[in-house]
Amino acid sequence: MSMSVLSMARHIAGDLKDGLNGVGVRSAARGVRRLLNADFVGLADLSGDVVWAPAEPPFIVDAHALVEKVLHSETKEGRSPLVAVPLHVHHELAGVMVVAGASRRAAVREASTWIVEALERGRLEASAEQAAQAELRALRAEISPHFVYNALTVIAALVSSEPDRSRELMLDFADYIRYSLAKRGEYTTVADEFHAIETYLALQRAVLGDRLQVQVRVAPEVLAVALPYLVLQPLVENAVRHGIEPRTGTGHVQIRGEAEGNDCVISVEDDGVGMDPALAEAVLAGRGGTDSVGLANVDRRLRHVYGPWYGLVVETAEGEGTRVVVRIPRFQPGVMP
Amino acid sequence: MSAHIWALSGVLAITVTTFLVGWRASRLASTTQDFLVARRTVRSRRNAAAVSGEYLSAASFLGVAGLVLKDGADALWYPVGFTAGYLALMLFVAAPLRRSGAYTVPDFCEARLGSRALRGLAAVFVVFIGILYVVPQLQAAGLALSNVVPGAPTWWGAAGVAIVVIVNVFGGGMRAITVVQAFQYWFKLFAIAAPTFVLCVVFIGKGGLQSSEMTGLAEELPPTFTSAATMTVQTPVLLQVDETVKFAARGTIDDDPVDGSVYWTAGETHEVDAGTTLSFSQGSSVPVVAGAPVDNANWFAPVSTRDDLFATYSLILALFLGTMGLPHVLVRFYTNPDGRAARRTTLHVLVLLSLFYLFPIMLGALSRLYTPELLVTGRTDTAVLLLPTKIAPGLLGEILGAITTAGAFAAFLSTSSGLVVSVSGVLSTDVLRGRVRDFRFATAVAGGVPLALAIALRQSDISLTVGMSFALAASTFSPILVLGVWWRKLTWVGAVAGIVVGGGLVLTALVISTISGLTGDWAPGVIDQPALITVPAAFLTVILVSKMTPAKIPSDVAQIRLRMHAPDGLGLTRDRAVASFGTAEERSRLADGRHRK
Repeated sequence: MSMSVLSMARHIAGDLKDGLNGVGVRSAARGVRRLLNADFVGLADLSGDVVWAPAEPPFIVDAHALVEKVLHSETKEGRSPLVAVPLHVHHELAGVMVVAGASRRAAVREASTWIVEALERGRLEASAEQAAQAELRALRAEISPHFVYNALTVIAALVSSEPDRSRELMLDFADYIRYSLAKRGEYTTVADEFHAIETYLALQRAVLGDRLQVQVRVAPEVLAVALPYLVLQPLVENAVRHGIEPRTGTGHVQIRGEAEGNDCVISVEDDGVGMDPALAEAVLAGRGGTDSVGLANVDRRLRHVYGPWYGLVVETAEGEGTRVVVRIPRFQPGVMP
Repeated sequence: MSAHIWALSGVLAITVTTFLVGWRASRLASTTQDFLVARRTVRSRRNAAAVSGEYLSAASFLGVAGLVLKDGADALWYPVGFTAGYLALMLFVAAPLRRSGAYTVPDFCEARLGSRALRGLAAVFVVFIGILYVVPQLQAAGLALSNVVPGAPTWWGAAGVAIVVIVNVFGGGMRAITVVQAFQYWFKLFAIAAPTFVLCVVFIGKGGLQSSEMTGLAEELPPTFTSAATMTVQTPVLLQVDETVKFAARGTIDDDPVDGSVYWTAGETHEVDAGTTLSFSQGSSVPVVAGAPVDNANWFAPVSTRDDLFATYSLILALFLGTMGLPHVLVRFYTNPDGRAARRTTLHVLVLLSLFYLFPIMLGALSRLYTPELLVTGRTDTAVLLLPTKIAPGLLGEILGAITTAGAFAAFLSTSSGLVVSVSGVLSTDVLRGRVRDFRFATAVAGGVPLALAIALRQSDISLTVGMSFALAASTFSPILVLGVWWRKLTWVGAVAGIVVGGGLVLTALVISTISGLTGDWAPGVIDQPALITVPAAFLTVILVSKMTPAKIPSDVAQIRLRMHAPDGLGLTRDRAVASFGTAEERSRLADGRHRK
């Protein structure tokens, strides 16, 4: 008995995920009716349109009048067998529940509280989603001012001695800025992401000169794979910034993309200073300070899109360089460039 | 003996070369100076060669010639159908499927109909079709190897190819799969075209048909032995003759032991047991396996009976619609950057396949003249391998034989590798999900199970067995793909019903035909070629059940269909980069930068 009540309650909460004008309202009304063992149950949003279960009752005119009354008074109206209760979500009127047929007043009150809680949870989930989206947008705007300054200085230095090269670098810079700032869909292809990496590396090579040695190896089979924007580019930026820049002498960066079964595996490897594995763990968990927000953000976005299997894998040790591996399925429903 | 050494070294050479090509291509990294080239996508032409390389299996390389040798004009439908399947793919499926972003058929099911249940069912059938397709490849490898190394049991070749494939996939040799498969296509084309040219020259140089005692290919006479021939029957066989034949035999014929001269009169059918040795003199006419055309006029003419007609139409339907459902074919299209490129690739595939299939047909006709003893032993699939040494005895024939043998192994390796990679991909993502997410384990399963089946099951003609997996693909996936692309009202319930009905019917036919093959061939012809019944049944089921469940039409169907059908130029799919950055040409006008090519 309690099992079926619990499952009914769970279904009602699920149906009300999208609020009182979502697709699941009729099903939720049906659930409430069964829960209360009432003759008719109606759910109305602020416009006063009532969704009835199991069908429209014969006393529909009375019921509508009652709903209008509740919408104005914001208090409980009518008396058994026909009652209408207001639904306050976050202390704000969101709708009305109408119950017809013998049912205990306490039960009606409990049911209305349950519905209000379900609606509140739905709103919280929606705002969490919005927060995640905002974070995505924030990451997209995260271009290191340090890098912009260096790149522009190098280009300026080359203008008189190597005008052709500086023009090309200028265009690389334009491409890079455009890709990083563009307001487009959420997803891109591996090919486009690699293109962004290449423009970035061309600029970094101008800044660092022969100190930066790069090897890119990407299998043509994975070029068409769709993935979220700016997943790979921050990894390469990290490799250059933390692996090569802080030390003297030449550093190597290796970027590899290949197919493995139905997955695409991309790895970014540098032979730079590396870091303590415990620190890497802290960075991935988002406790690494503002300097390494990028890595944790990429990790979270990958998990958000592909599920918990598909986070970043970081292999590192102090002085041993760092290897970051991204694994993404070649096809994931909803992920389209 | 030297012929065998030549052939063995040919097989070794192609295996090592395949490893090397894959190894080199996957290590081919661009260094600092030219790393920007790495981004280049695969051109349609190379991709088409890769699709063809993966597609041309033992059934194409050995089976087509063998069937032409045995069945004549009727067998021509095999190469026609193998090629025409790509016409259906190009017309109905290629571009929309590519634009849908799906990598495998289960992916397409999920993207189009949003059902996990359907996805799981589709995954199961991908595995079925894949295994059904690998088994004859491995059996053919066994046949080919026992031809090269006399006395070797047939499982040697099967195990050898299976191990090479699994090791190659383990070692990352298939990471550069496009390059490897494109190489395999050109090698196979060379391995079948070069011997055909040389053998034709030798044949014409000897004076063609006029010079010898051969029966013309359209005469109303059975083929004749061009030289005295002795052969040992290795599986029990039913033989019939059209003219009275006298020959020496040692072994068991019609359940009676014989040792000496035997007379067979016209029109009789005789059962020859395994291990029986038959010796024919030069010029005597050739008995053929019961059911095959006996005289050359019959062989040369198309369909003679109504059963033939049914089987032919059934075959055409299976091959025409089956190609689009083969797991290893679809995944190669994913490498195309967009829908248009996918369609262009298919067009190139049509050209490449048409070119290839000219040669096995010619070899099949030549083998009717030169290797008629295969008609007696029933091992017609080895015609391509034996023909060179028959037409051109000596060193030339041995070298040509080594080339065709190497080509045959290239066919076994490329198709099996492609299938094992696809099947293990589906196994690791769908079937073993959550428990064993290990691609290697899946690879071992995808290679090991077909090997066990190949050793356990009785061998029949390669092309017939492969035809069955085409029928299975045509009766399960082609309705989903065609209707999924073109019909709005498809529902996942309808799709599940279609797969269950179509797949169930074909699998039933397969089981019946296997049992009947073991207990005296009593099954009617429709069981061997069921597609003419199962494909319409599957389509009808999908349509009717979808009509009955309109509530299950996915809510985002309009959006998905727009994505699949809107031309690439509109930028709904790939190239928003073009919309925002301009086309490649525009950009290259702006700057002649290295990476803007």
